[in-house]
Amino acid sequence: MLIEFICNGKETRVDVPAEMRALDLIRNELLLTGTKCGCSKGECGSCTILVDGDPVCSCLLLAPKLQGKEITTIEYLERTNGELHPIQQAFIEEGAVQCGFCTPGMILSTKALLKKNSAPTVIEIEEGLSGNICRCTGYTKIIKAVQSAALKLQGAEK
Amino acid sequence: MKNKELTQVGRSALKIDGRELVTGKAKFSGDFNFPNLLHGYACRSKLAAGYIKDIDISQAFKIPGVVDVILPKDIPGGNILGILPPYDQPVLAEKEIRYAGESFCLVLGTSVEAAKAGARAVKATIEPIVPILTIDEALAKDARKIHASGNITVSKKLIKGDSTKAFNEADIILEDTFETSNQEHAYMETEAVCAIPSGDDRITVYASCQSPFHIRGHIAANLNVPVAKVKVIQAYTGGSFGGKDDAATEIGSLAAVAAVRQGKPVMICLEREESIVGSTIRHASRIHYRIAAKKDGTITGKEIKILLDGGAYAAESPFVVMKALIHSAGPYIIDNIKVESTAIYTNKTYCGAFRGFGVPQVTFASESMMDELAKKLKMDPLELRRKNALKPGDLNATSQVFQESVGLIETIDKVIDLNRLYKLPSEREERYLYGTGFASMYQGISNGAEGIDVVGASVQAMQDGSALIGIGLTELGQGSRTVFAQIAAEVLGISMDKITIKQVDTDSVHDSGPTVASRSTTVGGMAVYKAAGEVKSSLLKMAALMFKTEENNIILKNNFAQLVFDENAKIPLREVCVAAYWTGFPLMNLSFSKAPEANYDQENTQGNIYVAYNYGTHMMSIRIDKLTGEVKVLKHVAVHDAGKVVNPKAFEGQVEGASLTGFGLAHLEKIQYRDGVIINPNLADYAVPTINDRIPSETISIETYNPTGPYGVKGIGEPPVSGAAASFANAVANATGIRFKKLPITRQDILKSLIKI
Repeated sequence: MLIEFICNGKETRVDVPAEMRALDLIRNELLLTGTKCGCSKGECGSCTILVDGDPVCSCLLLAPKLQGKEITTIEYLERTNGELHPIQQAFIEEGAVQCGFCTPGMILSTKALLKKNSAPTVIEIEEGLSGNICRCTGYTKIIKAVQSAALKLQGAEK
Repeated sequence: MKNKELTQVGRSALKIDGRELVTGKAKFSGDFNFPNLLHGYACRSKLAAGYIKDIDISQAFKIPGVVDVILPKDIPGGNILGILPPYDQPVLAEKEIRYAGESFCLVLGTSVEAAKAGARAVKATIEPIVPILTIDEALAKDARKIHASGNITVSKKLIKGDSTKAFNEADIILEDTFETSNQEHAYMETEAVCAIPSGDDRITVYASCQSPFHIRGHIAANLNVPVAKVKVIQAYTGGSFGGKDDAATEIGSLAAVAAVRQGKPVMICLEREESIVGSTIRHASRIHYRIAAKKDGTITGKEIKILLDGGAYAAESPFVVMKALIHSAGPYIIDNIKVESTAIYTNKTYCGAFRGFGVPQVTFASESMMDELAKKLKMDPLELRRKNALKPGDLNATSQVFQESVGLIETIDKVIDLNRLYKLPSEREERYLYGTGFASMYQGISNGAEGIDVVGASVQAMQDGSALIGIGLTELGQGSRTVFAQIAAEVLGISMDKITIKQVDTDSVHDSGPTVASRSTTVGGMAVYKAAGEVKSSLLKMAALMFKTEENNIILKNNFAQLVFDENAKIPLREVCVAAYWTGFPLMNLSFSKAPEANYDQENTQGNIYVAYNYGTHMMSIRIDKLTGEVKVLKHVAVHDAGKVVNPKAFEGQVEGASLTGFGLAHLEKIQYRDGVIINPNLADYAVPTINDRIPSETISIETYNPTGPYGVKGIGEPPVSGAAASFANAVANATGIRFKKLPITRQDILKSLIKI
């Protein structure tokens, strides 16, 4: 079936099988492989994308459900001039990236969180990222990165 | 190698591969897309044990998109898997199924869905046999033999002094038995490979792996081609922790066989369930521990029997057995030790390397016993550890002596200080129990008893003043690329932004063995240090000619060659590089770092084994909810002597991550079997710590100077797992007054025990 949606700011029209997962559409058809597949069951959050600004496990979402929506994947965060998004910068600076496989999902969940709550408490950060598993870092540096990103974004607004 | 005025080593340089990881540009094995790509999906046994009578693949070919089915007979070479002798594992099971999840054929399809549907259509007739599921069943007198050699994979002894005499003369003897459960690596990226045949009879395999050279060797053996025909490239790898060795070799070999057969690229990406049931996990263990001591707390003897449940195949059991053996007595001065360490076959998922490699299991037993001894002697647990702790010049369990870089006492003293300052909440609520636990540990750095330890590294300076580093060790998230770049930058005086680390490509780097044993920074770092040093000597020689002075008047710093006595007199390194090139001074070097070979009595495991040890002491304070059993970690401090720390932030990252894995092992994670089948092979039922489970780890490093590592470094990747797990167990015992003898100690276990009281 033909679906139309906005993917990373671009109007996108694709013909997809009704049973195709959004994750497979994004990775295999749109070739946006920054979105990762970690479990296919919505348990790890590696496949997180933003749908109308909300974090969603794209492995649990059927592609046709994207009809009329606006989605963001990790590839859309870097500015066209090559400058990293403040959240991306914060993740590198705080040592919140080790193997990096969970990182795209973590960063997108962070983006959704900070959009709703520009100065989250630690508990609110935990809530916001509780759907994203990281096996490498122990999470402490991820929390620091979110706090640092929040400050950077607040600074940018002023 | 004097450590004065270091500019790159010792600072928290940003991760050099961070940018591609935060932007999603880094290509992991499953991210490749080649024309005509085929996908492989394995048929796996649902039974734990059985004889394969028939495999009917005819129905699979009726599924649209199914292209081929690979059976054991289709593997041109040895159908062999297994990194070490006894090489007892097939890539595809041919006659006998030895664990639930073992693969016996591979279906190729034009899509993952087609291959998977094809695999479901394969009809296997497997005659069930009664599986052997426990250590006791395997060791029973008339037990069926899982392998022709029997059910004992390997058994080793460590004997020092006369333990019988020590126990006869002891004031106090304590003994107990401890158990630990299997643990799943649960790296976020499952195992994945992509094999591409080329016209020149070669095959290239991109792999998510930690040992590209193991994979290369096995692909050649299974394809029956010379090793030189095979090229393995490590793609970005989404975590490994010891796990992406055996199974990566299995699917690497299968993908290569399939790709050559079809003349098309073949990708195999394990699903999460396959990654749990069909790939190694941490050995479950049962450890019988006896300790003999004097009234004053001097430990005079230990007798330890370690049984490791290794599952269906040997995999890395022979090495895990050794590591558990060597570390089981703990980091203490003990004159009389007798240890027996044995791995056993059972009809379960095979076990292999997992961060810590046998040390977390034995440390849990050892440190639980230390606390029990302290209690019996009415001694402070930290004082007891301090009294027996290894110092420079002491003989450790294998009678190896280190004159330097034994910082255990300093780690204990640091914890004593911190514990004195730290007060558990003074207004304690009735509903909660509070407690603090400690654990000291050590962990050998380098391959040690596991064989030769050699790393090759190349350093190439370019005429624009940049540098390219190649090394055969893999970046798995631990930050080794950044550490190697820092070492090269330090030696060459080139800034980090001008340094590039090659992807590991077996064509272009020397076989450096597997990325294991917390050895990268020490042994790998030394190879980079040496290679960079050779290039540096060319640059100094050239700069001396250009300055018309002696080489020792010149230093390389901030991308310049400059005079020691006049820092304004400087020449850009790029000009020195150009001149060196045109003068004919080599700008590239391949150097080797070979760790001093282990030299020991194989019968009793006495002698020199490792190039260094990491020493650590952990403290963990917890609060237990008496009504629910819920545990909250209030404080966790990990103090380690890891030698000189190259990158403090990356170091903290290793300690924090490894500690949470140790906490998972001790409290949350448990592989559950029913009739030999893993019943929780997913991330919902198997509890990998989430952000809500994180512990507030504080990292403290006691820097000693290790002469076998560049700039005095050691390693930190694995050791905190043991410290965190063992200190948790002791904290629970301290809080509840109950000694739990089995890991994990779950919330349910705690609650059940509290209700009994």
